Amino acid sequence: MKVLIIEDEVDLLIAISNFLTKEGFVCELAENFFKAGEKLAIYEYDIILLDISLPDGNGLKLLDPVREFQKLAGVIIISARDSIDDKIRGLDLGADDYMTKPFHLSELNSRIKALLRRKQFDGTDTVTFNEITVGTSGRSVSVNGVPVILTRKEYDLLLYFIVNRERVLTKEAIAEHLWEDNIDMADNFDFIYTHLNNIRKKIRLAGGTDYIKTIYGTGYKFSDR
Amino acid sequence: MKFLTRINRNYLILFSAVLMAVTVADYFVLHLVIMHGAREKLIAREILVRQHILNTGEIPNLHPEVEVSESSGEPANVPLFREVTVFNPVENENEMYLEYSDIININDTWYSVKLRQALLENEDLILILALTIFILLSAAFIVSYFITRKTNTTVWADFEHNLHEIESFRLNQVSKINLVGSDTEEFMRLNRVISDLTEKLSSDYRALKEFTENASHEIQTPLTAALMNLEEILQDNLQEETFRKVTATIRSLKRLSSLNQSLILLTKIENRQFEPDTMVSLLETAKKKAEEFSAFIETGELKLKISNEGDFTVSMNSQLAEILIGNLLSNAINHNIKGGEINLSVNTGCFEICNTGQPNQLSDDTIFDRFTKGTLGSSGLGLAIARKICEIHSLDIHYRKSEFHCFYIQHKS
Repeated sequence: MKVLIIEDEVDLLIAISNFLTKEGFVCELAENFFKAGEKLAIYEYDIILLDISLPDGNGLKLLDPVREFQKLAGVIIISARDSIDDKIRGLDLGADDYMTKPFHLSELNSRIKALLRRKQFDGTDTVTFNEITVGTSGRSVSVNGVPVILTRKEYDLLLYFIVNRERVLTKEAIAEHLWEDNIDMADNFDFIYTHLNNIRKKIRLAGGTDYIKTIYGTGYKFSDR
Repeated sequence: MKFLTRINRNYLILFSAVLMAVTVADYFVLHLVIMHGAREKLIAREILVRQHILNTGEIPNLHPEVEVSESSGEPANVPLFREVTVFNPVENENEMYLEYSDIININDTWYSVKLRQALLENEDLILILALTIFILLSAAFIVSYFITRKTNTTVWADFEHNLHEIESFRLNQVSKINLVGSDTEEFMRLNRVISDLTEKLSSDYRALKEFTENASHEIQTPLTAALMNLEEILQDNLQEETFRKVTATIRSLKRLSSLNQSLILLTKIENRQFEPDTMVSLLETAKKKAEEFSAFIETGELKLKISNEGDFTVSMNSQLAEILIGNLLSNAINHNIKGGEINLSVNTGCFEICNTGQPNQLSDDTIFDRFTKGTLGSSGLGLAIARKICEIHSLDIHYRKSEFHCFYIQHKS
């Protein structure tokens, strides 16, 4: 999978590309409008991450060459502006998703994977982890073929864990994934325990293993090691 | 009342008064003039009668206008003008006459002379004249009224257009205010002043808007880079102490980021970058937010009760409405006690949210101030934002402490 990252803040560019390389993507980088335009016209990408505040032009304008040359690519806008107008404009111009800075790498990962599934690049809409299978189009979960009924939040949480397997996830990152905009109100994250415990219970009841590991009481990791 | 209506009304009242006065005065002046003329005529006629008698020795008698008879007595109380009623056999009715009686001496004979002039004709003439003047003046007035009105509408048309333009002026629209030029000096001055003012307003508005957008970008981007790097550090097998330090740092940076976002939001609201776009039902917004927050409410084992009599609606930006209600509701959740209550009551004039909670030292005066915090590690901006949103929508928000902590919103009285 080939990803083009368009972002003018070099530290951010490197952090994202290191992470995505580790996740198995081939990353190309463009730190300005001009370079991005060039690359878009020459190469083909599966995923394009687009910062809209670039020093030499408005990133939204790059959506024109994207529509022209990158018909199959999925586009995720990453912007520091959280104005609804920008969001709507970006999506109207053909972007598939919009993320407001700051965001977690695990969140970026789960959005990219969701986009790939939606675009059917993986050729499948199921995500599996050992005995656990998640059917993303029907939002179904099964353990060794035994269906498990989860609530919407529990399902979201499980999928987030599986997509970000073997990664330490902070409670903040989890809460943000589940509640996006409303997260600023959550000073304590007790509500996450409830969801986690329900998932653990339901998976175990269906004969599965509890892969959710607690790291020093403040983080979690979905791991079979 | 419109400017032109006011001018026209004053004009009309003033003119009617003048018209009445002129007509009445005219009547009396005419009356005097004509009566004077009648008298002169009678005196002149007397000379004719005298001449006639001298020349012919014949005594003329033309009833009722000329009556001459020989008089025995010396003249007394003559000459005399008076108004008399004389029967006119021709018309078979009594008529008013101006009578001139005199006793004159012609060739040593005394004659009593009574000369009369019908008054009625004069009176008619005066009335006709007065009426004519009245009609002429009225016609002149009506014509001039319409002419003025017509010119007024043309002269004021530009002004009307500009007024409309100013009324529809919105700071966040890109187009400049488009005032129509005028060759009237006062209007030109007005246009210049308005153009200058709106330009200044627009440029201030744009500057602040750009600042908020840049500030957001410039601060959030490096924060994002820092957070991502810390997140990657977490992936290494860290000692517990190091792990806790990193997560604590992540939390602090997150706080910094949300603080920055809140401050920018506050600035945006102050700069009125959110236009009212719809009639918002606060009841529906509250229900929606309660649904979104249900996980937090359940975790706190809180009992949420929503009661309403009618709905509180207000024209505002829907995004701001959600922020307003969201902040109040999250405040009620975060500062609650385990197993506490949240009571939301809505009627047409008041939106109230009450919650159980720890006693605090805050009052209506201080609780909304920026960075006034309770015990928890909140930013202290949520209520400041709520108040600012209320402020720009002509709403009053207050805090009341009793058994419950209550916030209530009303329309500004």
